[in-house]
Amino acid sequence: MSEFERDPIIDKVRDTLRSAPHVAPDQRAVARVLSSVWESPPPSGWRRFINTWRVPALSGLGAGVLTVGALLIGFVTRGAVNPRQEAEPLAATGAPTGEYPVQAVAFDAEAIQIPTQFVFEHGEAQSITLVGDFNDWKGEAMPLTRLPNGLWTTTVPLLPGRHVYAYLVNGTLLLADPRAPKSGDADYGNEGSVVMVFAR
Amino acid sequence: MDDPFQGSAAWRGGEQREYPPQTSLMNDSRPASSIDPTLPLRAKGGDRQAFAELVDVMYPRALRFALHMVGNREDAEEAVQDTFVRVHRNLDRFRDDARFEPWLFRILANRCRTVLEKRKRHSVVIQYGDVPDRIGAVQEAERDWTEEVYKVLDTLPSEQREAFLLRHVEDMAYEDIAAITGVGLSALRMRVKRACDALRVRLTEVMRDE
Repeated sequence: MSEFERDPIIDKVRDTLRSAPHVAPDQRAVARVLSSVWESPPPSGWRRFINTWRVPALSGLGAGVLTVGALLIGFVTRGAVNPRQEAEPLAATGAPTGEYPVQAVAFDAEAIQIPTQFVFEHGEAQSITLVGDFNDWKGEAMPLTRLPNGLWTTTVPLLPGRHVYAYLVNGTLLLADPRAPKSGDADYGNEGSVVMVFAR
Repeated sequence: MDDPFQGSAAWRGGEQREYPPQTSLMNDSRPASSIDPTLPLRAKGGDRQAFAELVDVMYPRALRFALHMVGNREDAEEAVQDTFVRVHRNLDRFRDDARFEPWLFRILANRCRTVLEKRKRHSVVIQYGDVPDRIGAVQEAERDWTEEVYKVLDTLPSEQREAFLLRHVEDMAYEDIAAITGVGLSALRMRVKRACDALRVRLTEVMRDE
């Protein structure tokens, strides 16, 4: 910021607007956003096509060639394909299906991974990773991010069910989550913590 | 303007560019990025955890900006959520050498503009829904100050509010704001100056009374 922009009133306005407490990290809100992201359908075929083949500009000649080509293909293949005639008869389902075939799709809610947030407080750690039965207790797979307020956090997609986990601090120290129930067993010398993930 | 990836008015007109534009304006005066620069690239490569970390780190800033822009929590949260969905959908368009924050804020600013446009059409009164709760516990003088800040902010034209917030609250360089808004540097400086003038005029008296 240049000197001429320094102004005690503007500085105070900035401090006021920056310190709004209602924008403190909100783990539930973050989880909601992630759920929305994971559930969002992927880009449509056209969108993907456009993303992949972004042509800076199509010349008039190029557009003309493409148009003529499309018309030619349409003329040559006219009558060769008639999807309505070739469509299989609809399966008798007992319910009115209308003009379009309806296909039953198997949907297994238990197979959908749920974004699950982990938060751990450790002021002196240099690195923290999340380990558990969901990543074969491998320390490098799921690092936590340190937030400015000293909390460490990560959000990982987990299958619904019971999971045992712990935090690996500085690559050597395995600590249970003090805010979660203990697992009751000590596979790695210490009790782990338990997180229950529910299908929505 | 609904689709941020189509570019703002200044970017249309036949010429298509990569984002962000490579110009001589991109200099070292930009504020340091607060995110790990490898996160967007890992997310682009399909690493879901990296994307989750991006959301985790950027959510508070994004919500703060959206709240100040649209004025109520429900719309702000919707704009932020929509922004992250769009970011995720279009990660494959994110250039490896680009910086993530201006890209995110460009999409977010467009979502906020869309909210404001919709609201204009429906003539809904802008309210800072959280202000009473938020300032309930502070001293009375501070409460008056905060209320007044929000009142003045609310009266600013949205383009001035946007420029002011990006410059002074998000501490972005003018070059980045230009990439976010699609507005030229001189026009941006004028918007920020006008916003500062309005705030200064309206708030000087409040500050004197404290």
